[in-house]
Amino acid sequence: MTYNCLTTGDQSELSLRQVTSEELLSTRPMNKTAMSSAWHQSRRGRGHRHKEQGRVTRERVEEQRAEDSVPHGTCMTMCPAYELRQREAQNRLHRFEMVADTERDRLPRADVSRAVKEYSRPAAGKDSTRASDLRPPSVLLKTACHLVDDIAASSTFQPWAEVYSFVFDRLRSVRQDMIIQRVSGPDCVAVLEKSVRFLLYASYRLCGQQLQYFDPRINDTHLQECLSWLLESYRDGKHQHQEEFQALSLLYNLGSTEAIQHVLELPERIRSSPAVRLALAVSRAHMERNPVRLLRLAQRLDFIQVCAVHRHLLPCRTDLLLLYSHGHSSRNCRYPLQRLARLLFLKDTLAAELCQVYGVNVTGEWVNFSKSSFTDAVSGELQCRSMHEPLDDEQWNCSAGSVIHGCA
Amino acid sequence: MAHITLNQYLQQVLEAIDSRDGAFCAEMLSFKHPHVANPRLQLSSPEEKSMHLHCIFTMCSSFQAHKEENWALPIMFAATLDLRIFANNAEQQLQSKGKGKVGDMLEKAAEQLMSCFRVCASDNRAGIDDSKKWGMLFLINQLFKIYFKINKLHLCKPLIRAIDSSNLKDDYSTAQRVTYKYYVGRKAMFDSDFKQAEEYLAFSFTHCHRSCQRNKRLILIYLLPVKMLLGHMPTHQLLKKYDLMQFADVTKAVSEGNLLLLNEALVKHETFFIRCGIFLILEKLKIITYRNLFKKVYHLLKTHQLPLDAFLVALKMMKVEDVDIDEVQCILANLIYMGHIKGYISHQHQKLVVSKQNPFPPLSSVS
Repeated sequence: MTYNCLTTGDQSELSLRQVTSEELLSTRPMNKTAMSSAWHQSRRGRGHRHKEQGRVTRERVEEQRAEDSVPHGTCMTMCPAYELRQREAQNRLHRFEMVADTERDRLPRADVSRAVKEYSRPAAGKDSTRASDLRPPSVLLKTACHLVDDIAASSTFQPWAEVYSFVFDRLRSVRQDMIIQRVSGPDCVAVLEKSVRFLLYASYRLCGQQLQYFDPRINDTHLQECLSWLLESYRDGKHQHQEEFQALSLLYNLGSTEAIQHVLELPERIRSSPAVRLALAVSRAHMERNPVRLLRLAQRLDFIQVCAVHRHLLPCRTDLLLLYSHGHSSRNCRYPLQRLARLLFLKDTLAAELCQVYGVNVTGEWVNFSKSSFTDAVSGELQCRSMHEPLDDEQWNCSAGSVIHGCA
Repeated sequence: MAHITLNQYLQQVLEAIDSRDGAFCAEMLSFKHPHVANPRLQLSSPEEKSMHLHCIFTMCSSFQAHKEENWALPIMFAATLDLRIFANNAEQQLQSKGKGKVGDMLEKAAEQLMSCFRVCASDNRAGIDDSKKWGMLFLINQLFKIYFKINKLHLCKPLIRAIDSSNLKDDYSTAQRVTYKYYVGRKAMFDSDFKQAEEYLAFSFTHCHRSCQRNKRLILIYLLPVKMLLGHMPTHQLLKKYDLMQFADVTKAVSEGNLLLLNEALVKHETFFIRCGIFLILEKLKIITYRNLFKKVYHLLKTHQLPLDAFLVALKMMKVEDVDIDEVQCILANLIYMGHIKGYISHQHQKLVVSKQNPFPPLSSVS
């Protein structure tokens, strides 16, 4: 009998968060390979500091463990001074971090008020726990606000895909600092709430973009991570926006039994809030497989809620076509296209296109449903994006602010 | 047994080991044994329990060295049971102090149990009577209990696979098999595999010893919703016998097609159903209730060309809110798709045309 499936790897699913913090704070003895790679790293011209760092790390970490095992950051700027100087010298600043009018210089200058610490993967030989490189919770919150309010929500920075890439990375670094310092409490919650809003908005705005600009799977992974961290943080104490985010989490994870069970176990006060009640109603319609009701309820959602649920709407619409293909299957009967379009909450032309992709016969103003002609289309033929609210660039930029600002 | 000295106790344990009396030894080493009350063993710190476990586990790890012997299995059973109970208590204590992440202690216990399991599972050399494989099901049941508690059901899959491919699976004790099928049945429910769930849970219920009323009731809590989804309603006597009257209104509502009563019953016993984790499955009964309601409409009108309006009236009588003809069509379409109704909807004539033969097939024959 083979038991490859029973290796420790399978054991308990460690979340990204646990893995990162354990990696960082373990005192695994540096074996030969690790040391030699650390040495090579330092030899790659990263400066003397790293050479020193490599040798001293283990002792310093052990020392730290002895007195206080949780690091506390002391860097009061959005970007640690050392990193700022290093990136400036190596011409690795992002466009949004440069002093205006120096962008085209051979070596652009860093704008201290706009430079933000970038995300860097934890690695052997690299000490991510230096206090001077870590930002305390208050600075992290300020950083998150700057990233989301001043950059993502503003209309001055174009193209938005580039804004997304920058803010995504820098927010990730903010969360990493939180993990290393084991931050919890109101500051942590505020940062996570901002991250969730940003990622939800991005999932809608950049839906359908090319993979090199936006990868929905990566966005989803981070969004789920933030949501589960946020929901766990909500367990202690009172939080002003809890109802809103419980609802968003349920909508984003429409159809997940775990998500619904979680909401059902929430205290009465939160469960009976309008946002959660609406989310539960949408969820119930989904569970009962009633797409007509679901799409109707979806009209009552606000913009950020639509962002959360939108990826489930196309499957919901095709489900309607499937059910009707079976329920109205008859050679002689016809169904008015206009009425179908209204049920789908789409324009007539778009409804007709949807039917065509899924093998539903449309002739002029009439639809003829037949259970044998419905085909499950290969995904990608019709984009979710084509069914989004028709907003042009101008409106996108205006709405970004109000949507993302949402909560204080 | 606090009157025997510690030395006498240790002597007895030693003798048990020497004579390979696994069962007696297990009894002596279990935390339930009176020796625990001996004041010389009591320490004010919680480490005393971990000392106990530490000794046991050192013993267990030496079992791996027992080639071709399995007399020590009962000791391992006692130890792992104690471990799980301690982990539970530790969890509760940590939670009350507000420290630690939920599930931490239990996950660690699970890791220990897994290593014991591996020892048993990889015992390929010994003959069937001496094989440690006999320990597998007990350990799996312990692991199931932990995984269900920490809500990590997907971790059950490799264990289920292990038993399915084992040739001992029908030869374990009935008690162990009843527990095993109970958990596997619950997992099948979670995966919406209701036919399988019914099979496992029914086995568990019928083979559970009649003196274990509490266990039978537990099994029934999960068996009932599954059976109802397949169209079999429990009798009033059954519900009374096992003190499960919460299901009475639900049963009545579903069989009568009374949506109003169903909604009321679900709300009334919400807390109980949610706590048992069956609320969501009971909500699935709604579709069955629609089917039963519409079947009544069909019988009342005695025609197979039923006006959609009739269904709308029926729903409105059941105080279903915000429903209109379009939603009625959608619900009917769903029932047709699922095979609960044989027929089609004609939008132009605003009628549901049903088959002249068996338009509402019996629930057990569908899906």
